[in-house]
Amino acid sequence: MTRSASGATILAASVLAAFGVTLVNFAKGGNVDAQTALTFLVFAIAFGSVQLAVQTWAPRATPLLIGPIAALTAIGFIEVYRLDPVLGSLQRWWLLIAAGFAVLTLMLLAKSSTEIFRRYRNITLLVSMVLLLMPTLPTGWAFPLRGLELNGSRIWIVLDVGFTSLQFQPAEIAKLGLVIYMAAYLADHQRALREAHRQIGPFRFPEPRQLVPLLVTWGLSIVILISQRDLGASILLFAGFVLLLYAATGTTGYLALGGLLTAVAAVASYLAFDHVQRRVTAWLAPFENYQDEGYQIAQGIFALGTGSLTGSGPGLGRPDLIPNAATDFIFAAVGEELGFAGTVSVLALYTLVIAVGLGISFRSRDTFRKLLAAGLTFVFAVQTFLIIGGILRIVPLTGIPLPFMSYGGSALVGNMMLIAILLRISHEESA
Amino acid sequence: MPDVILALLRIIFLGLVYLFVWQVARAIGSHLGISVRKKRKDGTRIVMVKSESQHGTEIEVRDVTVLGRSSEADVLLDDPYASEFHMRLVAQENGMVLHDLGSTNGTYVNGRRVTAPTNLHRGDNIQVGKTVMEVR
Repeated sequence: MTRSASGATILAASVLAAFGVTLVNFAKGGNVDAQTALTFLVFAIAFGSVQLAVQTWAPRATPLLIGPIAALTAIGFIEVYRLDPVLGSLQRWWLLIAAGFAVLTLMLLAKSSTEIFRRYRNITLLVSMVLLLMPTLPTGWAFPLRGLELNGSRIWIVLDVGFTSLQFQPAEIAKLGLVIYMAAYLADHQRALREAHRQIGPFRFPEPRQLVPLLVTWGLSIVILISQRDLGASILLFAGFVLLLYAATGTTGYLALGGLLTAVAAVASYLAFDHVQRRVTAWLAPFENYQDEGYQIAQGIFALGTGSLTGSGPGLGRPDLIPNAATDFIFAAVGEELGFAGTVSVLALYTLVIAVGLGISFRSRDTFRKLLAAGLTFVFAVQTFLIIGGILRIVPLTGIPLPFMSYGGSALVGNMMLIAILLRISHEESA
Repeated sequence: MPDVILALLRIIFLGLVYLFVWQVARAIGSHLGISVRKKRKDGTRIVMVKSESQHGTEIEVRDVTVLGRSSEADVLLDDPYASEFHMRLVAQENGMVLHDLGSTNGTYVNGRRVTAPTNLHRGDNIQVGKTVMEVR
């Protein structure tokens, strides 16, 4: 696909978004209005500017990544707008801001290339840790930067800027920094990690002293789980690291050990925390606990079932009955209004993005860039799997946003930057 | 807005989404080298039906393919009677054209020695030395 075809997919996705918004208007008895035009413009400007930035600062990057991303954003946006037009207009602002961050990322990396991440890995790690721990700042103090607890998870920070206050989830940015650090660390130690191992049955196990990074990450994700009660980020971090370790070394023992450590942590946290217990109960028996903890998952299942093959049509279902439909349960809302056909197309688009991401990794010759591309793609994939799997009751529900589809500014900014870094790697590697 | 039109628009919307997915998937596929397989054309494939060391070898002729005993040739003919560069096959819309490259021991199509460019069809026999090939 050529560069102009990439522009065509952006245009097509913008048309999709505007078309969907119009359908929602029709369903509510309205007509083509300013929302239609505004949606088209914002999508075209946001993704168009990212595309321009790619052409300017990463011209050899793959043209295949922005298209599916734009389409996913469009489908998610239609449901967000349908659930709450106010959230919809906020999301449009966030889309422009996130595109701005992607452009900025591409511009800065054009000057220094992704090598800068490798060189300043320790600073990256430090900044990420600070970002991760920021929500634990006291909520009550006078300092304009405060931590905040919402819906049982302490993952927010609030910045007071005089007339208003901004809310942000710093973990969405921190996860990028952590992946960068992991990739840099593993690129340096790849040979040592790969060569020192023992064969036990079908598995190759690493030497005991090589397990330190695995155990440190495990400890860190448990700290996140305890201090912020953020099950999603905790699992995401650990699963991402285990997959990256496996990718770097090809040692199957890491997968086995990672699974074992996860199981230990899962059982222990189930026994220790009642919020984890509630999640597991809701997962295993949502209909028996319909009145309380199972309500959200049960409503999600109802929505998917009601949607049937082609859905009720945008604006014609009742996805507003699902708690947090615009954020965690956006996939169920798509299932109700666009049906099985809609959810399958969403899964197809995610699969394509992940395929392109892994393709970038496979084609990379430089170890650091190879691992960075793989790590970023893993984080994207695990995140998608965890939240969709939670809605479909494959795994317990972990409240993390569905990349590019859920309402939420922090996640949109973080994921746009993730895609920008992937694009930059693909540019550097196709030299 | 009548329900029928809304239902129709919904299907159109889903259709557009799938059209989009299909286009992107095809682009990614061809980028990664997994192109949607085209139906193989008749008469552009050659199978060695009699050969001492290359029995059963299949040759797919795309554009121009040179056969000969030299390692520089596109396809190696392991036959002591073959010349270094024995013959050239050019793929056409329908089938191929065979050019003998002035070989010492000649090229035989259906038992007849050929010197001028010859059109090949499915089922034709090509003989070089002791090697017999069939067009499929």
